[in-house]
Amino acid sequence: MGLPQLCPMTSQELIKEEKPLTSKEGALRRSYFKIQRARSRAAFILLVLPAILWFVGLMLWPLANMFYLSFFRWDGLLDPKIFVSLGNYTRMFNDEHFWHGVANTAIYLAVDMPLVLLPGFVLGFFLSQRPPGSRLLRVIFFAPSMLSVAAVSMMFVGIYLPDGILNTLLHQVGLAQLEHVWLADADTALGAVIAIDIWGSIGFYSILFYASLSNISQELFEAARLDGANLWDLVWRIAFPLSKDFFGVAMVLNFVWIMYGSAQNVLILTKGGPGDHSLTLGYYLYNQAFMGYRLGYSQAIAVFAFTIGLLGILLIRRITRRSEV
Amino acid sequence: MAQLKQVNLYQFARRARLDTPLWAISSYGIALLYALMIIIPLYFLVVSAFKDNISIFIDPLGLPAKISFQNFTRAFEQGGLLSALTISIIITVCAEVLTLALAFPAAYAVARIRTRMAPVVEAIFALGFLIPALAILMPVFLTAIRLDLLYNPLMLVIFYPATLLSLTVLLLSSQLREVPKEMEESAVMDGATHLDLIRFVFLPMARPAVLTSVLLNFLSLWNEYLFALVLLNANNKTIQIAVTMLKGERTVDYGLIAAGVIISMIPIYLVFLFSQEKIMQGMFAGAVKE
Repeated sequence: MGLPQLCPMTSQELIKEEKPLTSKEGALRRSYFKIQRARSRAAFILLVLPAILWFVGLMLWPLANMFYLSFFRWDGLLDPKIFVSLGNYTRMFNDEHFWHGVANTAIYLAVDMPLVLLPGFVLGFFLSQRPPGSRLLRVIFFAPSMLSVAAVSMMFVGIYLPDGILNTLLHQVGLAQLEHVWLADADTALGAVIAIDIWGSIGFYSILFYASLSNISQELFEAARLDGANLWDLVWRIAFPLSKDFFGVAMVLNFVWIMYGSAQNVLILTKGGPGDHSLTLGYYLYNQAFMGYRLGYSQAIAVFAFTIGLLGILLIRRITRRSEV
Repeated sequence: MAQLKQVNLYQFARRARLDTPLWAISSYGIALLYALMIIIPLYFLVVSAFKDNISIFIDPLGLPAKISFQNFTRAFEQGGLLSALTISIIITVCAEVLTLALAFPAAYAVARIRTRMAPVVEAIFALGFLIPALAILMPVFLTAIRLDLLYNPLMLVIFYPATLLSLTVLLLSSQLREVPKEMEESAVMDGATHLDLIRFVFLPMARPAVLTSVLLNFLSLWNEYLFALVLLNANNKTIQIAVTMLKGERTVDYGLIAAGVIISMIPIYLVFLFSQEKIMQGMFAGAVKE
């Protein structure tokens, strides 16, 4: 009888099967399924292969190279690569610029994360209640997230200039003593860069939280209100615990952005200056790789930043994972 | 009038489920304050683009006395924004197409072909969320040299899709999983191959997810700065690089910068205008899945 048909059985057909199979028919069917399985495995590999090759070749392989290069002294593309084992790492731990970078990144994290995520959450809750005008507010809050790092940084150049809008406004309201050369002043450079980040990020996270909080049933809030809960309770006693998991996701996103993404703001606006006052870890990595041409050493910094990043992500997930799950 | 306002506020508060007017006012106050903080710098940017440098800093928030497009023409002439825009458009379009061409078959295979390899492949792509672009910047730079593609926009067209694959495969495969089995079965009965299935069943069914990923990828591609800075040179810079180069070493011509920034933003806002909700949802979906 041969193979009855060349297309796979649908589930219904298998169920519809009435009479028991003879052993010959059973063997035929088994070999048929074996061929099918081999075929679908081949199809799977063919379909997945291009994407996997791309991904491995241009993401995982470079990542492996980051580790590999960190064991070499390689000061410039034309210089020879010299294996120094952990030499770059000992050098790194004795490098004061590196420690300035670590300290500034720690400040960046400590200031940026709470100032972005807490207001972001409150505004996200506000939006999720869909008060009048919230459509427009959503558009406004999200607007900075569409802008590139380059566009935002260049926009703030005019705000932070010595005769820029910030100083002009301070002067006009009689607070001239607060005027600074914001990006060139040792006391304000790092803060000025962080402020740009906070400016746009609050809106971005408020939209994320809005989307996540919209999934919470309003009846829950109604019930709580009947029990006498006020707005503060609704936000921090009900909405917050319920979205703790998602809060963890937002924390991870924000953390990762600060660790690596913020290097671009620093690069465009201050180049780590004045001195090392706005030098972050991410920027120092870029600086050593492309301005100092210490290729091997820069990758040791990259490995350090990558490791801290992974540990940070794991820690945040551990803290915020819902206990009952 | 005052009476009316009060009643209105009360209704606002009720409708907004914001308890008492006090809560309503303070929550609106905070929201409006932040909205102002966003709008003022953007407004300053826009009016500055139409002013000369003296009036920008004498009267930063005033409307321009007479609207001048001089800054825009100068940005195109001095900043080479036209060629930068062209290069950005070419890179963005090519990388978008390549990303989808790579991601869609993979997403289809992961979502619809049952093998033991599927979860492994998914796990590999999930690793992408943990790899920061900054960490692989130097190795990718070295790869570009080895491929003899340094300072060639083709390198970005080849490289960018790799960074976008994780999210794109994820978004597409989660939608492809939801296509009912019956649709696939009836096509298979008619003798459809996997490629037929992709073309005639799954691509049309996954249109919303395709659109979402195209939008999100457009944002990242158009706005990308770091790799464009390192892998290209002054002759073929993208719009993002061109904008930062409008700032001189010593002097700042803010009118020129503002005009350049606005030009660089126009494509983004045009897209945003028509698909804002879609982008927001996409970002949320992406965040949840990470």
